[in-house]
Amino acid sequence: MYKAHQTYVKPETEIIDIITENYSILLMLEHFGINFSVGNKTAQEICLEYGIAPEAFLIIANLYNGFYPPKDLSLSSESLISIIDFLKNSHLFFQEDKYPELIGYIRLLKASNDNKTIDMMEQFFNDYIDEVNEHFNYENNTAFPFFVDLLNPKSKSKESQFSVKEYRDHHSDIETKLEDLRNLLLKHIHLENLPNIQRKFIRGLFGLEADLRKHSIIEEMILVPSIEKFERLKNA
Amino acid sequence: MHKRRKNIAIIEPSDIIYEGLFNLIIKNIQNSNIHRIDGINDLQDSEYEFSLVIINPKCVENRLKEFIKLKKYHHNALWIGLVYSYIEDDVLQKFNQIFKITEPIDNLLNIINSNIDYDDKKQNKELSDREIDVLKLLTQGLSNKEIADKLFISTHTVISHRKNIVEKTGIKSLPGLTIYAISKNITSINQSFN
Repeated sequence: MYKAHQTYVKPETEIIDIITENYSILLMLEHFGINFSVGNKTAQEICLEYGIAPEAFLIIANLYNGFYPPKDLSLSSESLISIIDFLKNSHLFFQEDKYPELIGYIRLLKASNDNKTIDMMEQFFNDYIDEVNEHFNYENNTAFPFFVDLLNPKSKSKESQFSVKEYRDHHSDIETKLEDLRNLLLKHIHLENLPNIQRKFIRGLFGLEADLRKHSIIEEMILVPSIEKFERLKNA
Repeated sequence: MHKRRKNIAIIEPSDIIYEGLFNLIIKNIQNSNIHRIDGINDLQDSEYEFSLVIINPKCVENRLKEFIKLKKYHHNALWIGLVYSYIEDDVLQKFNQIFKITEPIDNLLNIINSNIDYDDKKQNKELSDREIDVLKLLTQGLSNKEIADKLFISTHTVISHRKNIVEKTGIKSLPGLTIYAISKNITSINQSFN
């Protein structure tokens, strides 16, 4: 199924073409650790150069271009390792780049707007970040190491207290609060000053929502179903 | 209220006709997502729920049985036959509406518009007095049961008020609703529980 205006990325697609068409691909490249100076290299060449499983790269690039991953995926362990690396890097992006940026905007707004609700919004956003950090730390320290171990054929650990089902259950909806914050600002709370910072903040919230949505799709529709297949094999 | 985008499927082998339809719909029909589908098999596999399927009857004229099955599968959809060549009457009868390519464009737009029910019709977005009472108690940390007892209504009614509050304000979480309530002077910072 094709949408009319986006490219379906194939191994022979030149990366420069998809960046020009959809610059949010830049963030994807960053998460894969790919340098932006891509020349005329194709997807396949870039994958070879950076040791990324092409299958994983294509699924994610196409997700960024609006194509959902096919159902019943069963990816190779190389692809899953690439995807886990990608997810870890995106956690880092959220924690060290995106959230500090947004916190900076709230502080600026607080300093120059006399509105009783700004302090509360700051608190609301900080609570949200704590929640997300807890989730990311759980993934980085518990779920992902377990997955990597599961994918390693030499791994000896037979008995595990952890299972992908537990991961699935842990996966809570972290987007609702962002939507609340955005609706508060767009529908209900009137701030007088620093419209440029207000815009950057609201745009930042939209961007964050979109990034997190892709992040959850990668986890729920790509990672979990494939890992479950590995788990069944191992337990068989 | 959350605006739901309508999914429209187009099954049309000709690229130029598809592009024409795409541009026409995107410019004239609000909140629509257009999906180009290669054939009726792909429609069967699609995860989307379609409000409208615009389809060239040529694609189904030799596969009527499958087509009827598919119509049952996507039973909420309206099926519009886009006709630009000779099609037998018994095939045409299987469609809800027929649009001939020589007709004025407005005919097609009218068919689409009158069959897409917009669930985001203008409605009162202000909270009612009762909803304000419920919101006030909510932000003070009371449970549904406690609110019901206090206002002499059933918990069921409390839940339905809560649903309306969320729909009208667009705010889902309790801390978010608290900020809303304070910004509208429905409750004060001291009264709220956090």
